[in-house]
Amino acid sequence: MGQCYHSILTKKGYKVKWFRSTGAAIASLEQDLPELVITELQLPMHNGVEFLYEFRSYQDLSDIPIMILTHVPPLFKAFNASQWQQLGVAAYHYKPLTKLADLSRSVDRLLAPVT
Amino acid sequence: MASRKQRFADERLLQLLAEQIKLPLMQIARQAELASVSDQPIKLLGVIEDTADSSLKLLDSYLLSLRLAGVKSSIQLEPVSVSAVLNETAQSLSNLAKQYDCKLELHLAGRYEPIMAHRAGLEAALTSLGYVFIEAQSVLPKHNDTPVIKLAAHRGKNGIVAGMFANLDGLSSDVYKRAHHLFGQAHQPLSHLTAGSGAGVFVADSLLQSMSARLRVAHHQKLSGLAATFATSSQLNLI
Repeated sequence: MGQCYHSILTKKGYKVKWFRSTGAAIASLEQDLPELVITELQLPMHNGVEFLYEFRSYQDLSDIPIMILTHVPPLFKAFNASQWQQLGVAAYHYKPLTKLADLSRSVDRLLAPVT
Repeated sequence: MASRKQRFADERLLQLLAEQIKLPLMQIARQAELASVSDQPIKLLGVIEDTADSSLKLLDSYLLSLRLAGVKSSIQLEPVSVSAVLNETAQSLSNLAKQYDCKLELHLAGRYEPIMAHRAGLEAALTSLGYVFIEAQSVLPKHNDTPVIKLAAHRGKNGIVAGMFANLDGLSSDVYKRAHHLFGQAHQPLSHLTAGSGAGVFVADSLLQSMSARLRVAHHQKLSGLAATFATSSQLNLI
């Protein structure tokens, strides 16, 4: 699935970096800060929510929007909307119902210059 | 009539399977969407075909596990060549392994006498395990080399041990035992192996239980994995 998301966003002209572990993602931030982070909540050997807390614990990353793209259905969301907002989650997409076009539109919206 | 405990286990397995099947269906849908805007749609069609084939096989394995569980007391185990079954399983998994950039290797540490098993059930169990391992390798952090999955057999204390092995950190008997407790209650009962529901593992276990074997954590060379031990056919030993 990661390859699909990577392909469609690259095709749209975005520079996409894909990490298979939260450790590698955090380590990469020392070289390059992203404009948007897209993450799954259900990660092998990791908890996506823990990753969010870790990510937000770094001051210089506090303004970067986060999009959740996950297998966890909205009904099972551990948090309510205001808690997600506090963590800087700008969009929540349930993978099985999110087409590539929806993802792409959502990224466009989040990265659009504020007028 | 099935006991309440058994019915509960059956329901949980069905639930896991439904969760698991969502993944390939989603992959098919997204790959098709990508193909519609891609310059190389033919390449993606092959991926769609392999994904659909593997899902169909997983469903078939699940149905076989139900059939075998229903007639467990009357299943006739027969002498089965473990190397032939491992060979056939490797063949049926080869396309999927290629698709996920995994190296699938067959390793038989010697020649073995036939084992007592249900041939179709054993092949289905190993194939189901294979899907989980291949998928797991695709989402786990990659080390430098191409991930290797071994479909292997070796001689154990109580018979021939056959199963699937890989370079997996943290897969232990405790983790596997905990997965059985979490089975049907957690999204990721076997999070050390797969980010998904791991239905293939539980389908494999159900199939093996019908043959009076149990899936357990085992080691082969320096790899960890899941395998079952099979008694050898004593009748053929005498020949």
